[in-house]
Amino acid sequence: MNIAIFYGTETGNAEMLADDLSTALDEAHETSVSNLSDTAPDALRTADLNIILCSSYGDGDLPASAQPFADRLEAQSPDLGGVRFAIFGLGDREYHATFGSGSMKLADSLIRRGATLIGERVVHDAASGDLPEDMALPWAEDIIAASHHG
Amino acid sequence: MTGKVAIVGAGPSGCYTAQALLKAAPGLEVDVIDALPVPYGLVRYGVAADHQGTKAVSRQFDRIFTRMGGQFFGNLRIGADVSLTDLCGAYDAVVLAAGLSADRPLGLPGDDLPGIIGSARLTRALYEHPDAGPLPDLGAHPVIIGTGNVAIDILRLLVKTPEELAGSDLGPGPSDWLSRQRVERITIVGRSPATAARFDPAMIRELATLSRINASIQPPAQGGAGVEGLLATLAETTSGPLPVEFRFQTTPTAVRRGPGGLLLDVTTPNGAETLSASALLTAIGFASDQALTGEQVADCYHTGWFANGPTGALPRCREEAQALAARILRELAPDPRRPGRRLLQDVPGTVDFAHWQAIDAHEKAVAAPERCRRKLAQRADLLTLPTLQDV
Ligand SMILES: Cc1cc2nc3c(=O)[nH]c(=O)nc-3n(C[C@H](O)[C@H](O)[C@H](O)COP(=O)(O)OP(=O)(O)OC[C@H]3O[C@@H](n4cnc5c(N)ncnc54)[C@H](O)[C@@H]3O)c2cc1C
Ligand SMILES: Cc1cc2nc3c(=O)[nH]c(=O)nc-3n(C[C@H](O)[C@H](O)[C@H](O)COP(=O)(O)O)c2cc1C
Repeated sequence: MNIAIFYGTETGNAEMLADDLSTALDEAHETSVSNLSDTAPDALRTADLNIILCSSYGDGDLPASAQPFADRLEAQSPDLGGVRFAIFGLGDREYHATFGSGSMKLADSLIRRGATLIGERVVHDAASGDLPEDMALPWAEDIIAASHHG
Repeated sequence: MTGKVAIVGAGPSGCYTAQALLKAAPGLEVDVIDALPVPYGLVRYGVAADHQGTKAVSRQFDRIFTRMGGQFFGNLRIGADVSLTDLCGAYDAVVLAAGLSADRPLGLPGDDLPGIIGSARLTRALYEHPDAGPLPDLGAHPVIIGTGNVAIDILRLLVKTPEELAGSDLGPGPSDWLSRQRVERITIVGRSPATAARFDPAMIRELATLSRINASIQPPAQGGAGVEGLLATLAETTSGPLPVEFRFQTTPTAVRRGPGGLLLDVTTPNGAETLSASALLTAIGFASDQALTGEQVADCYHTGWFANGPTGALPRCREEAQALAARILRELAPDPRRPGRRLLQDVPGTVDFAHWQAIDAHEKAVAAPERCRRKLAQRADLLTLPTLQDV
């Protein structure tokens, strides 16, 4: 399967996770890794599946590198019908009220434009001590398995 | 691409620079040098003990040395153990990412009185930096000057109960010190109005979750969006036993000795006033320790706090480091005759990344149940490789 991995980050954790996922999935699939800051909404039409990794900042806002993408979504209002994406959040439960809000906001605006969310959005908690790749890899394998059937 | 790059400072700016260089040009020889025996600068010694999530960037930095081919030279102070001139002669490019380690003085009459404690000095002692002095007694009514995140970090630590510090890496010494303090109220003083405070919204939200805090804001904060609205909510929703007063538009003009400690003269929109303080904690920024000076400095690349002064958090360090790495790759003119790391290899006392991995594993293994790590606080201990028998 052709899988495009995108990341939205401020301190680089999501980028490292994107690289890890790509390395792990490369054995069975073709993957690409891009920063959301350099991504046009139409780029989501290329691969069979888009996997988005996105952290949260500010007051539950998008991280800086996802903001230009969100702005382009807003400005261009593209019809993303037929686009399939899965999204994994990076967050920190210390920020109770807005835990994982960045990935939630991004998912919502993609869905509003007609894209289909595959699987569940899960959020890694940086304060937990769990490694994000330990969570994201099985999550991605499940999503890929599910999207073969779907 | 080949070439030899030395980076002075293994804090976030140095590490993000190394990461970006090696990601773009895996063939480079990138050496990251730190005066301390351990890497990661303020990620270890500045970022609050109870913000472990933020410290998770060190997992990225680890990979520079475990997977990307970077080398760590710890316990090596440029300007003392090796001169900057020699370093510049040995490498194709030298990056100064040495941060800022001194406290910026208040710049007021009386700013050298005992009882004034800079945030660099305080946080180093709290987080067990090997060059830290002892933790000072704060008395009943410490006053914090500054309206940035560091001021809030210090405030939060003073307000938290021992239970609220669970999961942090605050050491046993600092934890005991905290529990011995008998703080009855805390005042935070800042020149700016609440609307211009540089706190992250998340930091204010976090204060609102603490059980002991009873916050008030002067002049009263208006509701609405942004930090001021969050401060207004903080004041409305907290009613714990420890009064914490935020005083905005309050400009310190002088510090004097007072009966039970210090007196802080301030001007406010309502005129001049004097606040009494059992201790004065200044969180107004860091300054250079002047260790890296001389003409050679201008020939090096600069990044992070060393380049810009004490503003900007990790995201900005990363962004600038990535831009700098791109510039270095454009400008690099490798000369194979330069010795590179051969200059450093024989300097006595340096430690490598495997040494840090052993310290790291040891510190995690000996942590108390309510802590995630127990730092080795003394330089001598940081220089002695812990063995498994110690665990
Ligand atoms: C108390 C405090 C709390 C903070 N909390 C946060 C936070 O929660 N989130 C956030 O994003 N940012 C936070 N910051 C900001 C963040 O720490 C800085 O943006 C960042 O550390 C700056 O990185 P740097 O690499 O420029 O400097 P530093 O982190 O200071 O690293 C400089 C390194 O250079 C080394 N060095 C100095 N001189 C020499 C020499 N002559 N030879 C060799 N090595 C040398 C030092 O030992 C040090 O390891 C905080 C800062 C402080 C002070
Ligand atoms: C100032 C600041 C604000 C944050 N706000 C949130 C938040 O609202 N919700 C959340 O889940 N995580 C929040 N985080 C945590 C980050 O999203 C988390 O550390 C993540 O791993 C960062 O990933 P990145 O390096 O890819 O940006 C915040 C972190 C910082 C430093």
